[in-house]
Amino acid sequence: MRWNFWTLVAAFTWGLLLLLLFLPVGSVLLGGFYDAQGDATFANYQRLLTEPRFQRAFLNTLVVGFGGMFGALLLGSIMAFCLSRFEIRGSRFVSLMAILALVSPPFIGAYSWIVLFGANGLVRRGLRDVGVSIPPIYGLAGILMVFAFKFYPYVYLMVSGALGNVNRSLEEAAESLGLTPWQRVRKISFPLVFPALSAGGLLALIHAIADFGTPQLLGRGYNVLATEAYTLYSAEVGSNMSMATAISVALILLSMIFVLLQRYLSRRNVYHGNLINKPVKIRLSGWRNALAHAAVYLIGFCGALPVIISAIYSFRKTRGPVFQPGFGLQSYERILYNLGDVVRNSLVFSVSAVALIVAAGTLIGVLVARRTNLNTSLLDGAFMIPYVMPGIVIGIAYVSVFNGPPLALTGTALIIVLSIFIRRLPYAVRTTSTALRQISPSLEEAAISLGYSPFRSFLKVTVPLILPGVIAGAMLSFVTAINELSSSLVLYVGRTITMPVRIYQLILDGDFGTAAALSSLLLVISGIAVYAAFRFMGRDERSLL
Amino acid sequence: MAYLDVVRARKEFAGFTALQDVSLNVERGEFFTLLGPSGCGKTTLLRALAGFNDLTSGEIRLDGEDLRRIPPHKRDIGMVFQDYAVFPHLSVFDNVAFGLKPRKVAPAEIRARVGEALEKVRLGHLAERLPAAMSGGQQQRIGIARAIVIRPRLLLMDEPLSNLDAKLRVELREEIRALQKQIDIAAIYVTHDQEEALAISDRICVMNAGRIEQIGTPQEIYGDPQTRFVAEFVGTLNRLEPSPALESDLSHLGLKAPRATLWAVRPERLRLLPPQEAEEASEKEAVVLGRVEQFTYLGREAHVRLATDLGPLVAQIADPGLIAAFAPGEAARAAIPRDALMAFDAAGARVKLEG
Repeated sequence: MRWNFWTLVAAFTWGLLLLLLFLPVGSVLLGGFYDAQGDATFANYQRLLTEPRFQRAFLNTLVVGFGGMFGALLLGSIMAFCLSRFEIRGSRFVSLMAILALVSPPFIGAYSWIVLFGANGLVRRGLRDVGVSIPPIYGLAGILMVFAFKFYPYVYLMVSGALGNVNRSLEEAAESLGLTPWQRVRKISFPLVFPALSAGGLLALIHAIADFGTPQLLGRGYNVLATEAYTLYSAEVGSNMSMATAISVALILLSMIFVLLQRYLSRRNVYHGNLINKPVKIRLSGWRNALAHAAVYLIGFCGALPVIISAIYSFRKTRGPVFQPGFGLQSYERILYNLGDVVRNSLVFSVSAVALIVAAGTLIGVLVARRTNLNTSLLDGAFMIPYVMPGIVIGIAYVSVFNGPPLALTGTALIIVLSIFIRRLPYAVRTTSTALRQISPSLEEAAISLGYSPFRSFLKVTVPLILPGVIAGAMLSFVTAINELSSSLVLYVGRTITMPVRIYQLILDGDFGTAAALSSLLLVISGIAVYAAFRFMGRDERSLL
Repeated sequence: MAYLDVVRARKEFAGFTALQDVSLNVERGEFFTLLGPSGCGKTTLLRALAGFNDLTSGEIRLDGEDLRRIPPHKRDIGMVFQDYAVFPHLSVFDNVAFGLKPRKVAPAEIRARVGEALEKVRLGHLAERLPAAMSGGQQQRIGIARAIVIRPRLLLMDEPLSNLDAKLRVELREEIRALQKQIDIAAIYVTHDQEEALAISDRICVMNAGRIEQIGTPQEIYGDPQTRFVAEFVGTLNRLEPSPALESDLSHLGLKAPRATLWAVRPERLRLLPPQEAEEASEKEAVVLGRVEQFTYLGREAHVRLATDLGPLVAQIADPGLIAAFAPGEAARAAIPRDALMAFDAAGARVKLEG
């Protein structure tokens, strides 16, 4: 092998992965085999398997995972089918609401549902006044409802893409062969969108398993693995790090299974058809039309509800943490006077992480796409690992590895930036390598034949062509970075607190007004980034997945 | 020594040899075509000339200079690509000017030369447009202008017309031919389309499985193929089945070729005789009897497939007009002129006829 620039990039990449991924994850894997005194033991895994508390958490994780997945599948398929097959007024507005649900921070949903349906919730109170009593939203039912409305966009975006790609001639052929409409859906359309359906469903499942904020706020005793790991880690007295890592391992294994399944399904059963005959949207009439509109708007509205609630509550008049009648800007004043450093932290950390992601992701993406050999395909595989790592696990892993010399990073800003960096890096690598594979190599060859050296050809031709995609990817990484809660929650100290962490604390402290204002600010920042991303590469909602 | 010399060029990829000791030479101002089926090595050779893939062994000399020692971006060779490779982020003007920038050409001269090149490919009016929305033919014109504007020492074209529709292909190939003669540059053109090769080239090199089958003018390639592969790849061939009928026809014509294992004749050399006339065949023709199996009318020509003693034969009728029509089953006679017969040996080489 010749030593050149790309060999260096490959070596650098492996070093990066070793330090930021293999070392922490390895230590988590091993950490579960030691007790508090540092002696090797199987006791942690034995407890995990035998103690009812952990068995229940494991079972609960599966229940919320699959429950969230089915909810998301139901809502997402209805949404996708109606929007891609029927003429819906304001369909762009509806899919905007789906985007809002997707980019809103994970726990704002939980909080807003509490505002409406909690013990003292608005809707519950209203219903009680007219004599209807419904149970508060806490517990499993609440978690599942929030997950369904939070994660349906994954299914919706995947499936509507697939439905838009079903050649209408196929359905017409089936019709001409004498199939009834229902048979047509069952035998033609469903098999064709099944890969997208299963991929979107598993995506919802993976996110539901890893979600920490929702069960933490809504669970009220309904514990899942992510919350158990955090509880064990953060307990003031008797913090049990090795048990927390043992749970992390269980969580990694669980999500790894589903990620691999998702990859497998999204590769299998992909049908490539020609798109000569694009599907057309049918104009419904009468009650069918009303029903389709009602379904689409109801789902879209409920999904966007958290955002709407927090926007409204952020403008309510408050005194201290208590809401007063009427509207005011006190919550935003409090951000301005007391929480400026939190906002600044979030922006600085996210921007630094994204800068690192863009630089490293572009180089590694080029390496993976253009210098294909065994080394790079291994690399491609290694980049799957951050996908399967729930944020809470990365956080615990980083704390346990970078806690002392030679790398004492605990409590620094760098450790938060790095944890965001490694989790989002795979997306950047994939975006770049996909973009590069779509550019014909003959473009660079043309530049070479015209007198540009290979490196200058890359700069002059390839870089300008992938730049919009890279910028768009950076914007989307920024959205993920600034909304990151679970790993920062483990890694923050007073100086390095970020907006999502502060919102989480404010909600626990009962200061809903400030939490809502901070959430709204976060959402506005995310919204600007998404808008910028769409400007750079055209509106493509699926890039948000 | 010729302008371009390729000597025993050899290229090995893992597991197979793409070029097996290919030698050829091209003169200044010559339009030279590499013709062959996909996988024959023609593109590999072209890319070796451009420098994108180096040879495993062999020599490439351009104007006496060893090309293999020069990196591709310093070779001064213009290249036209099958997928056009037009830079989508640059305007038509900037695409064409792209190669002049590293050559440190003054801005005023860039404008003049780009304008001139665009006029040559009839795109002068579109200079400020972005190429993305342009048709394939227009994009390839940009590709050609971009390659010739740098006044390269050699112009390479890799199947430049194969992504265009049939009518445009004919139109553009004539323009390319005229342009190449006008700027008087040595051009190497790769194609798998035999008609295109015949129409455009000064000389054609027919390649197969990494080897050269024959190099010659279009007339030599079509009219006097030296191998069975060339005869079958360029044009079509009626193979005459070995039979007593063939033996008697050959002896009637007084032809002999002891090593011949295959006798063949091109469809357009077969002459259909009116069935009712009892015209006596001359010594210069053998007459075969048969029945019409199929009649295909193509406008400017028609094909009649006959079942004969010599096996199935296709006869081509030029300018069939309104009346020519043959019903299947109809009896028919065809004459094979003596000088239309070709013979090949078991290895596929052309055999010289005796007698």
